Amino acid sequence: MIEKLQAKKMVVTGDYAAAYGALLANVEVVAAYPITPQTLIVEDFARFVDDGITDAEFIMVESEHSAMSAVIASEAAGARSFTATSSQGLALMHEMLPIASGLHLPIVMPVVNRTVAAPIGIWCEYNDMLPQRDSGWIIGSIEDNQEVLDMVIMGYKIAEHHDVLLPLMFGLDAFILSHTVEPVEAPSSDEVADFLPPYKPVAVLDPENPMAIGTFTPPEYIQEERYQTHRCMLNAKKVIQEVTKEFASKFGRDYHGLIEQYRMDDAEYALISMGTVTGTAREVVDELRNHGIKAGLIKLRFIRPFPDEELRSIVENGNLKALGVYDRAISYGVAGPVYIETRNALYGFDLPLYNFLAGIGGRDVVINDVRKMYDAMIKGKEKKIVWINTRGVEE
Amino acid sequence: MYEIRFHGRGGQGGRMAAEALALAAFLEGKYAVSFPFFGAERRGAPVRAFTRIDDKKIRVKTQIYEPDCVVVLDEKLVESEDVIEGLKEDGLVVINTRKKPEEIELSRSVRCATVDATSIALDKLGRAITNTAILGAVAKATGIVGIEAVEKAIIEKFGERLGKEMGEKNAEVARIAYEKTTVGTAKGGKVFEKKKQWLPGVDELPLGGSIGTLQTEAGLVGIGSFIENKTGDWRVFMPVVDEQRCTGCKICWFYCPEAAIKMVDGIAKINYDYCKGCGICANECPVNAIKMEREAIA
Repeated sequence: MIEKLQAKKMVVTGDYAAAYGALLANVEVVAAYPITPQTLIVEDFARFVDDGITDAEFIMVESEHSAMSAVIASEAAGARSFTATSSQGLALMHEMLPIASGLHLPIVMPVVNRTVAAPIGIWCEYNDMLPQRDSGWIIGSIEDNQEVLDMVIMGYKIAEHHDVLLPLMFGLDAFILSHTVEPVEAPSSDEVADFLPPYKPVAVLDPENPMAIGTFTPPEYIQEERYQTHRCMLNAKKVIQEVTKEFASKFGRDYHGLIEQYRMDDAEYALISMGTVTGTAREVVDELRNHGIKAGLIKLRFIRPFPDEELRSIVENGNLKALGVYDRAISYGVAGPVYIETRNALYGFDLPLYNFLAGIGGRDVVINDVRKMYDAMIKGKEKKIVWINTRGVEE
Repeated sequence: MYEIRFHGRGGQGGRMAAEALALAAFLEGKYAVSFPFFGAERRGAPVRAFTRIDDKKIRVKTQIYEPDCVVVLDEKLVESEDVIEGLKEDGLVVINTRKKPEEIELSRSVRCATVDATSIALDKLGRAITNTAILGAVAKATGIVGIEAVEKAIIEKFGERLGKEMGEKNAEVARIAYEKTTVGTAKGGKVFEKKKQWLPGVDELPLGGSIGTLQTEAGLVGIGSFIENKTGDWRVFMPVVDEQRCTGCKICWFYCPEAAIKMVDGIAKINYDYCKGCGICANECPVNAIKMEREAIA
């Protein structure tokens, strides 16, 4: 249980917004291991426990593998559970991720997106999170600190829905959000409790009523279980729509479901963006529009489930002459992961599709970089997979 | 939109100052964002922090390259780097120094505000922590926020961390600095040597970025660092070896993260050009032959 918390406006880091979101969601168990730039989330939540604002169980663990193991156990025992990690920490959790999804445990976990070694780096990149997209977790992406707080609250509502029952992770950009302070509106604990009722598990580990989960399972069953998880992920599409709509009507902030369309109505050139580059790209779209260029932006909010129907509908019903995909990660030997997903979703459509790789390893993605992306589409460049600002590589 | 870049050294509180300024603007009903640039932080290393202030929501998430205002917490930085690089033509620089604006030499002549934040902080706080004093100067020189909002923000932000009394004392420091700030024009014409940078293309970069120590033509020390860019001035405490006690066991040599210890005739010698004063050697020495001594402050 948490103390009654009044609605307030704060100027806080993205990490604080994540911790405060977990507090408002009334999480009962937190197990986490610190890693830059996620550390503040763990520290801030530990302070809430220390100050007595919440009586949540805070479990000290010796690694991220143990952190995920601990929250799998607590969630299976029916407690709303929370953890957070980044980069190598997420890589170390990898073994436990499909266990959380396979057992249908709706854990929520912010991932502060950071470069994976080698070489070692602490700055923003999605090569930590995007390789987890076959783990059975719902995977979201965030634009600003307000969305961090809101996503934790919405995240539990989505993950705990009985048509879904899957764990949910969402990425926030290392330093660009994690260590940046900006204004964030926090609803009161009563308002959140009204939106997000206590977790109602389908099956609970209980010593009084013993039950077996995740046991040794022969081939007669696993294929069906995989299909169940696949179906849960597909169901998540509708639930994400419903939850964001309900959130908008209750709190006044509309996140539009799996994607948000910005100035897409008559757009001829559009970019699919992810993370904080979205904010920068909004500026570029406005600038291009002022110059009479019909530019638009599609903000990708979830990569699992992937908004394939939404993208097909945009291409089918719109005026697009080209579509670009921004990627802050690389699937070696192929292209950026979001591009691969988009190309799959748009199979059969005759539309020039570009991939722009930028900001990898934490390189700042500046206004001019985003301009270059639109320029390439407008000029109809032959080269479709473009590494922006990469020394010695032709753009 | 008004954009501010803070220059300081790790541990001087530049990030806290940038955040408190954002909070002050927020308290006045504006939208404000603040963020640090994280490099290889350590106490003493040159660091930057940024603040953006606007009447509407700020969407752009890039670093700041053409600030309206540059704030310098450590006046030694004015000597060693072109702090006003990218500053807008009609921009302003705020410097913690005893000098008058007219006595300051920069790469070009710009509007300049100065305040002796160090003396004010030493007098009121007993410590040379200048991040709150400088905010008073920023309020006075830019007018982008009022001094009342700065005081409130300091009480909230610093009070939270250091207790109410220290919060109020720091607010007072900002007010005194506000009163004592002088605005004028700095001299231009100072020439700064360009920092050496090695930016190889994909074909020049060794596979995996593996660099033989000190082996490249540019004098690379480790990727992104150079022999020419000495880091000895980051130190607050310096390790001093008692040669009588040193047994030559090489434990300090092994542990030094900067490879700034060399064994000469079986005795550890510290290379003060690169030693950042982390103190690991002193901590690890099994015979207590290394002591950390306070750096002389100019």
